[in-house]
Amino acid sequence: MQQKRRTSAGDLSHLRELFRHHIESFDYLITAGLGVMLRDIKPVQVHNPHTGETLRNILSFMILFSFILLWFADDPILGRPQKDRSSEPLYPFECRQTRISYTGKLLADIYFQRDDKAPVREQLNFGQFPIMLMSKCCNLRGHDPQQLVSCKEESSEMGGYFILNGLERVIRPVILPKRNYPMSTVRNSFRDRKEGYTDKAVVIRCVRDDQSSVTVKLYYLQNGSARLGVWIQGKEFLLPVGLILKAFIDTPDREIFASLTCCCNEKFEKDKGAVATQLVGERAQIIINEVADLGLRTHLQCLEHIGEHFQPLMGGLENEPYSVVGDAVLKDYIFVHLDKNEDKFNLLIFMLQKLFSLMDQTSVLDNPDSLQNQEVLLPGHLITIYLKEKLEDWLQRTKKLLQDEMKKESNNINFGSVDSLKKVLEKNPTRQISMAIENMLKTGRINTQTGLDLQQRAGFTVQAERLNFLRFLSHFRAVHRGASFAGLRTTSVRKLLPESWGFLCPVHTPDGEPCGLLNHMTRTCRITSYFDAQGNIRDFSKIRMSILNVMIEVGMTPSLPMLVHAGPPADLSVLLDGRLVGYISSKQVERVVAHLRKLKVSAASVIPDDLEVGYIPLSMGGAYPGLYLNTSPSRFVRPVKNISIPAVEGQNIELIGPFEQVFMEIRCPDGRDGGRKDAFPATHEEIHPTGMLSVVANLTPWSEHNQSPRNMYQCQMAKQTMGFSLQALCNRADQKLYHLKTPQSPIVRTKTYTNYCVDEYPTGTNAIVAVLSYTGYDMEDAMILSKSSVDRGMFHGLVYQTESIDLSDTKGSKSQRLFRRSTTDKSHHSLIDSDGLPYVGQTIKPDEPYYSTYDEIKGAIRTTKRKGSEPAIVDYVAIDGKKHLQKVNIRFRHPRNPIIGDKFSSRHGQKGVCSQLWPDIDMPFSGVTGMRPDLIINPHAFPSRMTIAMLLESVAAKGGSLHGKYVDATPFANSEEKVNEETNGEKSKTLVDELGEMLKVKGFNYHGAEVLYSGVYGTELTCEIFIGPVYYQRLRHMVSDKFQVRSTGMVDQVTRQPIKGRKRGGGIRFGEMERDSLLAHGAAYLLHDRLHTCSDYHIADVCSLCGSILTTSSVQPQIRVREMRGLPPMRAPKKVTCHACKSSKGMETVAMPYVFRYLAAELAAMNIKLTLQLSNATGA
Amino acid sequence: MDPQQPAEPVYYICGDCGMEIPLKPNDVIQCRECGYRILYKKRTRRIVQYEAR
Repeated sequence: MQQKRRTSAGDLSHLRELFRHHIESFDYLITAGLGVMLRDIKPVQVHNPHTGETLRNILSFMILFSFILLWFADDPILGRPQKDRSSEPLYPFECRQTRISYTGKLLADIYFQRDDKAPVREQLNFGQFPIMLMSKCCNLRGHDPQQLVSCKEESSEMGGYFILNGLERVIRPVILPKRNYPMSTVRNSFRDRKEGYTDKAVVIRCVRDDQSSVTVKLYYLQNGSARLGVWIQGKEFLLPVGLILKAFIDTPDREIFASLTCCCNEKFEKDKGAVATQLVGERAQIIINEVADLGLRTHLQCLEHIGEHFQPLMGGLENEPYSVVGDAVLKDYIFVHLDKNEDKFNLLIFMLQKLFSLMDQTSVLDNPDSLQNQEVLLPGHLITIYLKEKLEDWLQRTKKLLQDEMKKESNNINFGSVDSLKKVLEKNPTRQISMAIENMLKTGRINTQTGLDLQQRAGFTVQAERLNFLRFLSHFRAVHRGASFAGLRTTSVRKLLPESWGFLCPVHTPDGEPCGLLNHMTRTCRITSYFDAQGNIRDFSKIRMSILNVMIEVGMTPSLPMLVHAGPPADLSVLLDGRLVGYISSKQVERVVAHLRKLKVSAASVIPDDLEVGYIPLSMGGAYPGLYLNTSPSRFVRPVKNISIPAVEGQNIELIGPFEQVFMEIRCPDGRDGGRKDAFPATHEEIHPTGMLSVVANLTPWSEHNQSPRNMYQCQMAKQTMGFSLQALCNRADQKLYHLKTPQSPIVRTKTYTNYCVDEYPTGTNAIVAVLSYTGYDMEDAMILSKSSVDRGMFHGLVYQTESIDLSDTKGSKSQRLFRRSTTDKSHHSLIDSDGLPYVGQTIKPDEPYYSTYDEIKGAIRTTKRKGSEPAIVDYVAIDGKKHLQKVNIRFRHPRNPIIGDKFSSRHGQKGVCSQLWPDIDMPFSGVTGMRPDLIINPHAFPSRMTIAMLLESVAAKGGSLHGKYVDATPFANSEEKVNEETNGEKSKTLVDELGEMLKVKGFNYHGAEVLYSGVYGTELTCEIFIGPVYYQRLRHMVSDKFQVRSTGMVDQVTRQPIKGRKRGGGIRFGEMERDSLLAHGAAYLLHDRLHTCSDYHIADVCSLCGSILTTSSVQPQIRVREMRGLPPMRAPKKVTCHACKSSKGMETVAMPYVFRYLAAELAAMNIKLTLQLSNATGA
Repeated sequence: MDPQQPAEPVYYICGDCGMEIPLKPNDVIQCRECGYRILYKKRTRRIVQYEAR
């Protein structure tokens, strides 16, 4: 029994797959990314300002060097998390409990070199670096479920998040433009660059090996030329392309002209796939002439021209010749993904051709909002680029410090020794670097000068809420379009495009503000990474070489050495990761593509299985043709069946990306041929249609029978459900946790439910639901719960709330505070234990004290009272070891049984509010079985919403419980049956037939209806009632957290009006619109009551002589009226006088809102007098 | 000053090894067996009453 119940590691592999891209990207950072990044950081050189003098006067100056060189070694060490003083491993449980961060030590070596002496290596501590859970640096890595439980984790802990100050935070992946792919773009803002610019450009986002990127734009000018837009230090520089072309390689103008015009051939003009027109030649001429007009003729002149203009911006190259500076500009800012200048030249030629074709309308622009031209920014990669910038900053600051030190003549530091250098480094703390990363994760904000080529500065991280398992899981499957799009007026970015089929779920996106911007990846969608299937790091240069060899083998003409001049439609250019590697004949290309796909799938080949073979065929004015091969990480991929290859043991599953998918023929087993003609036979097939849905959307039973918005609502509500939140609940210290005490496994479930072990965290109850109008309490989406069912434990829930109290945080005052109980005052001893903390298991009511502290300087004991409106039970008290008893976590438990006003929903977007806990004896009962429903909903919930699957679920669950088995409700099931259909020869039954038959066999009504008797009258209800079990979820919105009621209470100090705010016992505003409605009804008395009598009613003394309400004041006369016989002493009437008139003659009392008096006072402060004219006449 | 009564110890359970640790005011907060520093307070032995509805 125990063996059976334990989840084996094999079961969790599907679940693990969902979190993989987070963990693998961080693993890459640990294993290779840090090294690659440090290698890319350029050394800094500090020149000695005294060297000139040194030559003259060596004896007086001890400085014997001309420069110091500083750079990073490329083998940093990121340690595993350890406890403070000991070397024991630190586990995540402890971080959550004691509210600290899960971090490991980052050590990196730095080299110092003086002049040409041997470099000195020195290890520096870069502080405590946040570690992702379950990454290679995590102490939990490789633990089996049992070990995880002994570490006080979930048995199915997946990791992928960080723990910062005890809170769990996830980096949310963000969509970026596809890397190393030149994209035709049209944007009006391009026109505003300068005079003569058009709105068209070709944009390429180039990514280096260390994931940092530089975007380059190629603008088209009205005169036919083009400009290359390069961002250097936050400013865009526009360079003539001719200049760049000539600066790349030493080549005659004729060669440039020939390369540019090679795509136009008179023979093919107006043919299918011809991209160039006669204009290209003229444009090429203009480009070449432009350079000549600048007076630049040779390669070297161009390079020096660039170097001359950019020298002030290139730090560290002040003393280098212009040609070296020019080279550095080309290397660091233009096409950074390529190393060789020849490749850069070829790519620029290709981009120019694409730009001209966009201009001539022989190709269309690429849609930046379509998934085809997008990739994703992974957590590890974001940290890598941020860390790189922080390290570069640090190095620059160090340089400045050293320079300042050297300039100080009085400060005779001998920089000869490493120790003296380190002393300077102490002023520039290394630990700040890890702090910066931690802050980025805590706030989700990046603090950068350059912007890192990203569109947003904030919103990179979110808290991973453990409300229920599905919500937690969704955080890791979410992909955000980018915070910069959230404020946009246009809705085009939010549109659901066919390109995202199979990659992003069309159902699982929130409605409202983030709709269409926050998407979730489908169940089958993966993201490519640096690791292959065996878990080894990929060597991309090696992979590219082997792909190149394969391509040459099958007939590609390589582009190096530069000999080929070819272009569409005869030949197609082949781009491999943004590098123009050659040309291939358009007649052969389809055969080559098929060959490549075959190699992708076969296990033995050198071609990686996730290679993207983006073949854009020739077309009349369609997308720019070419063969684009991509091996890069952080692309979306998903598996499909390749049916052109014979299936040998599942060897025909191919991973495809959104770029190639658009031009592929993929058949879906559910639809027929999808309108495909015989001329384009399907080469691929979907594995199952449910692959287009996210995990959460996949859990809706028979979702294909529902109206689609209902499925969207269900995805939202599944994430707000109170479920079985955690198995390691006793070890958690989350600020708020919702927990369902009596969950059940659904009778009707999809295959996904079992596949992803959702049964470990069930989220609802199989409630017997009767669909009838009973008592009237079930109208308008209200529902009636049977009181006895609730008493038996249905939907019983708990809310856990943890309060962390840390007294060592003194906030400025020097006095130390401790937990202690007063020994003299025994009034609280029944509530507070002798350690000053509450008793575990005891109930604390509102306004009762629950802990007391002792202030050592004041010597006083203070008790703290519990806030809120409901009693709570002390669940646990955990104390954290410091010297004194100062840091505690107190967890409270609020029992939350269903009450009127709590929210429930079925799995079909049918939510409702409990309107009555109806007594069991008055519930209707079945004539045959005597069964009473747990829950009654109104039949009006169905016709307009068309949630047919809910009806199916009810019938199926009824049949399933009669037969004692679970019912499979995977959507699109008919796509599988079609195969059987052909073999069996007989027509398979419809779903309704199948379910109805199950009931009929057991003697129940075929349609799931039953004869019911009224519980109140005992008479038979006039029609048969549809009744059966439906899986219901309890949502976290509960009245106990929301109700707001007030009769009297606190008022505002200034206006004397009732305050607002639920927490403070305020009311709900009776605003202008509410006032209007009462006015319209003529309910004047009620209006007066609400807005005056019950608000700031005030009787003011007004001086009728001067009309002022501010100058009056009352004086209590001293003399007492003599006591009358038998009567109490009478108080003399208050005497009110006006200070302005110096008399009390014209005193009147007037009722008015108190704010009016306030208004008068405010106006007086502005030197405006307010006078009232009093009269008794009505309407005066 | 307070009349110094002998303060009764409060019992805690170690978060790691499960040992029972009596603590008096000003005691070092640490498990005496394994040195673990997160301790849980033991459930009260008083009679507690809950509403079973």
